[in-house]
Amino acid sequence: MSLTRRRLFQRLVTLDETQLNPEVVSDRGREARVEFAAQATPAGAKPVRISSNENPLGPGQHVLDAIVGKFPEAGRYPFNATQNESSLPAAIAAKFTGAKAENVVMGAGSGEILTNAVRAFTTSAKPLATPWPSFENPYTTAKKIGSPVREVKLNDKLQVDVEKTIEASKGAGLVFFCNPNNPTATVHSHATVADFVKRVRAASPDTVILIDEAYHDYVTDPNYKSAVDIALATPNVFVTRTFSKAYGMAGLRIGYAIGHAPTIKRLNDFKMPYGIGTPHIGAMLAGINNPAHIEQERKRNTDVKAFTVKALADMGFTATDSQANFIFVNLKRPAAPFRDACAAAGVLVGRDFPPYEKTHCRISIGTMAEMQRAVDVFRKVLGAATTTAAKDKQ
Amino acid sequence: MSLSRRSFVQTLGAGAAGAWIGGRGREAGLFRLDALEAAEQNAAGSRLILSSNENPAGPGKAVLDAVRGVFSDTGRYPFAKVDEIAELIARKHGVKPENVLVGSGSTQLLRTSTHVFCSKTAGLVAAIPAYEECAGYAQLMGYPVTGVKLNSDLKMDLDALLGASKGAGMVFYCNPNNPVATAIGGKATRDYIAAVHKSSPNTSILVDEAYFEYATMPGYETMVPLAVTDPKVVVARTFSKAFGMAGLRVGYAIGHKDAIKKMSDWDGSGAVNMLGVAAVSAALQLDPAVLAAESKRNTEARAFTMKWFSDRGYKPTDSQTNFIFVDIKRTAAEFRAACAAENVMVGRNFPPYEKSHARISIGTMAEMQRAVQTFERALAKPAAAA
Repeated sequence: MSLTRRRLFQRLVTLDETQLNPEVVSDRGREARVEFAAQATPAGAKPVRISSNENPLGPGQHVLDAIVGKFPEAGRYPFNATQNESSLPAAIAAKFTGAKAENVVMGAGSGEILTNAVRAFTTSAKPLATPWPSFENPYTTAKKIGSPVREVKLNDKLQVDVEKTIEASKGAGLVFFCNPNNPTATVHSHATVADFVKRVRAASPDTVILIDEAYHDYVTDPNYKSAVDIALATPNVFVTRTFSKAYGMAGLRIGYAIGHAPTIKRLNDFKMPYGIGTPHIGAMLAGINNPAHIEQERKRNTDVKAFTVKALADMGFTATDSQANFIFVNLKRPAAPFRDACAAAGVLVGRDFPPYEKTHCRISIGTMAEMQRAVDVFRKVLGAATTTAAKDKQ
Repeated sequence: MSLSRRSFVQTLGAGAAGAWIGGRGREAGLFRLDALEAAEQNAAGSRLILSSNENPAGPGKAVLDAVRGVFSDTGRYPFAKVDEIAELIARKHGVKPENVLVGSGSTQLLRTSTHVFCSKTAGLVAAIPAYEECAGYAQLMGYPVTGVKLNSDLKMDLDALLGASKGAGMVFYCNPNNPVATAIGGKATRDYIAAVHKSSPNTSILVDEAYFEYATMPGYETMVPLAVTDPKVVVARTFSKAFGMAGLRVGYAIGHKDAIKKMSDWDGSGAVNMLGVAAVSAALQLDPAVLAAESKRNTEARAFTMKWFSDRGYKPTDSQTNFIFVDIKRTAAEFRAACAAENVMVGRNFPPYEKSHARISIGTMAEMQRAVQTFERALAKPAAAA
């Protein structure tokens, strides 16, 4: 086991670096690895993992059954499977009015597509524009390939600052617009996104616009609507989606981009061949053909999220208006000691998100039972901290 | 010449959507065929896929049980578990985890190595033909690609390859070589690598050992021990062949920690999936006899098929893989079409041999017994005038 320990130690060092520099955290849910390495939890009890914005229930029996149904073909490449890899873009397109297979490219998670978008559309002369904080994959990739990054601070509601992002888009190769935004959980309306796209197009026609809708299925704000219709109709615009969130398939690595065909074609050039496995094809098809399951998952998440937000509000801590399966809450103290104290009690919460790491924590929404347990831990941790602070003042 | 495999896959995709028979069993006691399955898989009209160098039996029950065992984690990101299999792989080879990079099939690792070791001024060198992933990626990135012809035994011409290697960013050294099935011995490979280092010290060599477990030739060796000490040599392996997991998408690279870090920094293991991870974890803990049995099964079915062609005057190369490359004295296209008419799918064109040779993957013995009947009829037709 000495190798394991060394590996863990290496990861621990990585985590420390991450506190200052988010470059390591390039995949969605990469916290899953960091926490595995760094956070000590009590022996015995299974930790409540509410750090990586996963669906705690997984994909559902219909999906697992579909995987088992593909076992006889596990030795076949995805292009030889009876449900063929090449059929997936059309299967996705069929769910969107006006979309064809040429409007869709698949990826091994939407992470692959975000990475390829930065590789395809930015250069040392064509920067990436991204809100900050936001999902880091585009930022990390741009740094790796030497493309400049224009980071745009959020507005005071912790939303993507539309005006400043338009400004930063001028001359950029790619602008990333995460909606809802991870880690702040806030969303912009369809009208705002449409206006944003129109104005970036006018100000900087060559800039490619990437609208990441990883958390689309969790949104309940009535003013929100997917930007897929905009992407299909507008040159240089595409939307990314993932099966890792509401569909509960983070372990299966499936995502896609949908948008204007020439833009999708360029992404397709960079696509890794056979990135989606043979049983995974069956899983995805079973998933998209059961919209009722996603409805149910949205409702479940909404209810548990409301419980969690209220419990924290009752303790005096305010969360942003969450439209995702996580909340971003102002704890009025640094995230790090809160996180460590929660981990010691078997509850794993999100990492630091500068520049809010001194005040805010991101907490994913688990099951109701998990959140009841988590809230009890939060109450103890936050209560104890308040008491200590009060004593210090005396 | 076009090196695009993607366009080939897209073409094949449309045709391959037909009924492939499920429930294949494995011979050699791993996953026993029952009589009904044997009858089904030989039924006229069922599709027999001998075109993609897959293991016809799949990964076996123990591995699939392990996949089922990870179902409760399918909603979780797999990254920590990927680290665990990197460690198991390292242990299998007696190396450290820092020497291992896990990828979504070896495909991802071939692309990554091409990216980090080649550039617009230091291109890719590979035998023609060889597996195309690296060349296809180099073309996408605008890196120069130099193809080196094979010798008359359809083996890599090491002298010519050495000459072409000078100044290259990376040599793709596919051993055994797909599609021609031939292999180079360990000593000749090591001598070639040493000569490249001498004449072109900045050139990396990617040794693709996808078919390692199927090689039976005396003197064939893995380059893993060399790779871990030599920053300019990386070995790629896959679970898609002898391990029967082409549908589960896991491969790995082994090399010096500096080379692995360079690859990992460019493209890590974020694409690797939980089902594949569980499968690999189980497969690496199986009795080694299981893998040996798969190799033996392939060797027997391969020998049967090669003899069948040789006896009729059609010369196969010295196959060290789970496919054969045989001179059918006619175009691959007409042979392929005649076989496809009987639902036996064989390999595509491999220029510059597409006028004379076909690549045929080795299925189970029962499948090959059926296939040769189709081959007999296909070869009985007069070859189209060249």
